[in-house]
Amino acid sequence: MELQAIYVQILALVIFAIGLIVAVSRRNVFFVLMGVELALNAVNLSFVGFAKTLPADASIVGQVVPLFSIAVAAAEACVGLAMVILIFRNRDSVDADTYSNMKG
Amino acid sequence: MISLGLIPLFPLLGCIILGAIAIISSGSKKGPAEGFVGTLAVLFPALSFAGVALLAFNMPDAGIRETVCNWIDIPMFRVDIGFLFDGLSRIMLLFVTGIGTLITLYSIGYMHGDRGFARYFAYINLFLFSMVVLVLSDNLLLTFLGWEGVGLCSYLLIGFWNKDLKNCQAANKAFIVNRVGDIGFLLGMLCLVTIGGSAILNYDALVNFVQMIINGNHLEVVIPILSVAGVLFFIGCTGKSAQIPLLTWLPDAMAGPTPVSALIHAATMVTSGVYLLARLGSMFALLPVVLDIIVVIGMLTAFWAAVAGLFQNDIKKVLAYSTISQLGYMFMASGVCAFDASIFHVFTHAFFKAALFLGAGAVIHALAGEQDMRKMGGLLKKTPVTACVMIFAFLAIVGFPGFAGFWSKDLILERLFMNCTMYIPGFTIFGTEVPNIPLNGVVYAVGLATAVITAVYMGRLIILTFFGNYRGSKESEEHIHEAPAVMLIPMVILAFGAVFAGYLWADSIGIKFFAETLAPVVGAAQAYNAPAVTAHLNPMIFAGLGTIAALLGMYIAYKIYANARIPAAKGSSAPEGGKATWTFLFDSLHKYVGIIPVNVLAWICDVVVDKILGAAQWTIGAIATILGDGAATFQVRKVRLQIALSILGLIALVAIVLLTGGTF
Amino acid sequence: MLALIYFIVLAIIAVGSAVCVLLSRHPLYGALSLVASMVSLAGIYGLLGSPFLGVVQIMVYAGAIMMLLTFVIMVLNGARDSKTPMFDKVSLFVIPAVIVLAGLVGFALVRSPIAFDAATIRGSVAITSKTLFDVAQTGPGYFVLFEVLGVLLLSAMGAAVLLAKKRLGSVDSEKTEDNH
Repeated sequence: MELQAIYVQILALVIFAIGLIVAVSRRNVFFVLMGVELALNAVNLSFVGFAKTLPADASIVGQVVPLFSIAVAAAEACVGLAMVILIFRNRDSVDADTYSNMKG
Repeated sequence: MISLGLIPLFPLLGCIILGAIAIISSGSKKGPAEGFVGTLAVLFPALSFAGVALLAFNMPDAGIRETVCNWIDIPMFRVDIGFLFDGLSRIMLLFVTGIGTLITLYSIGYMHGDRGFARYFAYINLFLFSMVVLVLSDNLLLTFLGWEGVGLCSYLLIGFWNKDLKNCQAANKAFIVNRVGDIGFLLGMLCLVTIGGSAILNYDALVNFVQMIINGNHLEVVIPILSVAGVLFFIGCTGKSAQIPLLTWLPDAMAGPTPVSALIHAATMVTSGVYLLARLGSMFALLPVVLDIIVVIGMLTAFWAAVAGLFQNDIKKVLAYSTISQLGYMFMASGVCAFDASIFHVFTHAFFKAALFLGAGAVIHALAGEQDMRKMGGLLKKTPVTACVMIFAFLAIVGFPGFAGFWSKDLILERLFMNCTMYIPGFTIFGTEVPNIPLNGVVYAVGLATAVITAVYMGRLIILTFFGNYRGSKESEEHIHEAPAVMLIPMVILAFGAVFAGYLWADSIGIKFFAETLAPVVGAAQAYNAPAVTAHLNPMIFAGLGTIAALLGMYIAYKIYANARIPAAKGSSAPEGGKATWTFLFDSLHKYVGIIPVNVLAWICDVVVDKILGAAQWTIGAIATILGDGAATFQVRKVRLQIALSILGLIALVAIVLLTGGTF
Repeated sequence: MLALIYFIVLAIIAVGSAVCVLLSRHPLYGALSLVASMVSLAGIYGLLGSPFLGVVQIMVYAGAIMMLLTFVIMVLNGARDSKTPMFDKVSLFVIPAVIVLAGLVGFALVRSPIAFDAATIRGSVAITSKTLFDVAQTGPGYFVLFEVLGVLLLSAMGAAVLLAKKRLGSVDSEKTEDNH
């Protein structure tokens, strides 16, 4: 048995799914952020996995784009945490359900 | 040689100028100067009459034709604005503009002090314009324009004193009943256009068309549709000329000022129907069935209206029913293709009926608004000129020898007897054969009986108004005065006309001027239907019978009303009991045939159809609301739930993409 | 063969840590589990021929981002609402939904023919830097993106400072000044 490309993709899919579940079903806002980070990681993994299936010239893409993805994730985490601090000052709670203002 | 277009132009200019004066002065309390407005108002009809007179003198036999411009020019339909001045329109225009001028002059005195002085004369000039266009036009569509215009002016003038609801209702009734007739006119035009294209609407073209049909022996092909057109045109005539069944508006139209009744509802507008029949005479000559219908309706109308005139207490209503009755005579004449006789009666009737109405107006003016004859009496000494005028006109209408009505009415009766070819078809009963029963004697007898009744009710009117003792209140008796000169002069002129107008066609003494004038226009149509065998009856027989009828009626009136005790007038002047049933017969007919079904239909629409439509609308709205509410449940308060629902949507998308083979 | 074993081990660690993130009560436990997951993913990157990326992952993700997250958790006392139930009605609805979604996507993936290519370049530092910075060879594309990324990070930094700053004269700043 050899390591096959599909295994990598399946792993990425599983981690993405778990990240999505964490993001939507946990009420603590930090867990939401963590779930998002997990999902982003899974996407990077998928990129790299596909990069290995391509011949020389095209495969470098799959190794450069995750770099940018990581950088953007960093920026997003930074701003997201700043917003959490801001909302926390108003609501004094980290429960995501108390942040619901949208009228149905 | 002046242009034909000037004749309708003068009253139109008058209407515009007077209308402008009326509008400009509508803010002020007293209104414009009456002298100035009155002069302007009479000037324009007088100019029009002068134009007609000028043109009338040297008119060639074939007439003058003038096309002004093109009116409608679309594929399959082309109509021009053109004028036709031949013998028929010359006669009509002479008395329309002449009597119009006289009545306008009279109105200056009658409407003195009325705030709407200028507006009244604007409407009168508009009416004269429409009537001139009606008579002068050379095609049916332009005539229809004038037709509608006179209907509109009738409405405007009947409801002139528009602060009183009854006047407005009377005006509405006149307009609406006329409109019902106009549908007939329109549909008749449509029928003609279907056979001959839009060119057939021109009168000359119509005459040529009829001639072509006769020459080519194509009668059986076109007679059905021409019959339909004829009936439809006749319906239009019943509306405008107040015959059965569309006559209910004319008595109510007496709510307008008396000069209006004289001009519109006696002399000019109501005769448009007779004019139309004469114009379309060549077409009607081919349609025996339609002609018979016209004779029957004219006969019934004349008789019915004469009896109804006997039951009225209001002086103007008597004259209104008298007008309807005389119009019935004219239609009877048209029905036996004696178009020149009918137009002659139109001519003489205009004079004596206008004189009667103007005289009635002077009486009402003298009595300060009293119109109930039961409160009049003994005015002969107090208003002698008015009495003279009315007595002359009365002698004219009953057909006293020597006066105008004698010549024209007896001519009609004579033609009725000679030309009428109606009959009851023969049948077999109990084995014996009964031959065809000719009906001309019956028609003549009814006409003669109507003449007797005419004399009775007119005699009643004269006796109740002018003879005996005054039955009104003491205060009004002191105010009785003769009308001012501006009112008397037109009355006297018309009385002259009532006496002498008949001599234009004094058949028995050989003057046939009138007939010769009209011969180029209606001669062919009359010749077509002339009876095959002329019974050589001495015309003096008819003259004698007519005179006997008039004298008999006058005697009956004298016997019944001269020394009778008139019951004190209580309440309104409307007839009661059986008289009311007879008088309002056609009003009831209209109510049960027309008004009540329309009301029921309206109620059904309002309650049933409206509810159904409302329910349908509500259903659509409810569906939209339900769909909206359903969609709104996907907007949730919680963020997590919203994201979860988005994931659901994403699943759906992915599933669809996979199932349909992917988008790549 | 060996690659497969390494892969399986690292995969199990990654998934296990992810499940721990899901099930942990205290956010700090969750953060630590997340770090473990990221480190194992870095290992997989190395396995797949992108060692540079793996190292960058550890440096940035596990080192900087998670540190920031942990810092904020501790500052805001993220465990204060630990009495709230972990899973509620929404979760009951979401978990099957996501599983279905993953199933669908996986189904599509499995049917598509992908295979490793032997001629893939190994993403070493030299190669990566050449791709990013050698404008003459590869064209300006990635370099511009790199610079833009720098600007993005700078603006994110500025935004975060601005957002989280205490306003002068606000209630919180009065309180801290009173405490001095």
